Amino acid sequence: MLSAPRPIGAAALPQHTPDIANGELLYHAAGCLSCHKPSPDLANVDANLPAGGAPLKTPVGIFYPKNLTPDRETGIGAWTDAEFVNAVQRGISPSGEHLVPALPYTSYAHMKVEDVLDIRAYLASLPAVRSPDRAAEIPAPFLLRRGIGLWKWVGLDTTPFSPDPAQSESWNRGAYLVNGPGHCAECHTPRTALMALNTAKAFAGGPHPEGTGKVPSLRGLIDRGRYTDAADIASALQYGEAMGYEKIASGGMGQVQRNISQLPEADIRAIGEYLASLTP
Amino acid sequence: MTIKTVMGVFAAGALALGLASAAMAAAGNPIEARQHCMKANVKMMKVMVPVLKGQAAYDKAAIDAAIANAEAACAGWNEWWGEDTKPGGAVETEALETVWTDKAGFEAAGGAYMKGMEAVKASADEASFKAAFPELGKACQSCHEKFRKAED
Repeated sequence: MLSAPRPIGAAALPQHTPDIANGELLYHAAGCLSCHKPSPDLANVDANLPAGGAPLKTPVGIFYPKNLTPDRETGIGAWTDAEFVNAVQRGISPSGEHLVPALPYTSYAHMKVEDVLDIRAYLASLPAVRSPDRAAEIPAPFLLRRGIGLWKWVGLDTTPFSPDPAQSESWNRGAYLVNGPGHCAECHTPRTALMALNTAKAFAGGPHPEGTGKVPSLRGLIDRGRYTDAADIASALQYGEAMGYEKIASGGMGQVQRNISQLPEADIRAIGEYLASLTP
Repeated sequence: MTIKTVMGVFAAGALALGLASAAMAAAGNPIEARQHCMKANVKMMKVMVPVLKGQAAYDKAAIDAAIANAEAACAGWNEWWGEDTKPGGAVETEALETVWTDKAGFEAAGGAYMKGMEAVKASADEASFKAAFPELGKACQSCHEKFRKAED
């Protein structure tokens, strides 16, 4: 299952005419803005632009996620497609550094590379914002980054998503959105002693990424009486607590739900169908 | 007795019951009073949301009664947030520390809820109810995002 976490060469990228609308859809599915939102210092910047720099607190330290707008100096405007794909799907920065998996490349690795290129094209269509990089506040960053390089051998599975022919097209679309761009497993799946996703217990609930508390299980949502059916799960993801769905706003899920609500209804229904199929 | 009078008596009765139970809760633990208020809000949502989803017919009397019940259960709200009612005490609470560390934000969130409630209360028919509701729903959502403990 595990393949070597090697960078993807520019020659390995497919010939692809980017679809900006698909990129925008997947940008929302991937929840990019949740972490790459503008820093509070950027008072005049549209809050919906991924200008980056807002502090992201994690158990290993504070990160200031990258400016994803096309500013050539402080954003990703000067990045090549291969550099973008390697950051998003392999956790390797343009300078060859191992990125901390707070950027969920471990899930994005399962995405179709064409979809990642579409996100890139959508980002390139946004207005450029100047938002200088700020170094992460982590103890011993050199050791951490070396450690991540080793960790990728167990923690980074680069197998592309493959549809299950026994399931419906919609179920497979939901499975793709949940396991690839949606990166739901990053919080909802427990981890092994080596901090890799414990796929044997997929979606059985995991530790909260901010360090305290837990993230609930997505298994048996209907059996446990949490929702009535797949359509109810979809409706909860579409409307959230604003329509009386309990406990989907707290713990950071509110932001996730708002991202999902930007997707076309058919995609939200597909996610509901897939989640409803996860047995207890 | 006309239908309207019957409804009026019913609503008044519901209101009185609500007031009585709110008073009882307030006399006890403030955390329990908060929970009682939130449960009344959940009950209110269960009356309103099916109408919005087209699963139940619009029924102004039922909506008004649910609002009256929630208002009664939540009367006294401002007095229920003493320092001794923070998380980690004897009575378990889903309130987060942020209620006390971001008092201005919490008050603003309460204000948004009140504004939403007033707008829904003022709605006189199905169309105006449906137009007024989203603001109230958003108030619940955004307050819970910041001030309520996550589900385990």
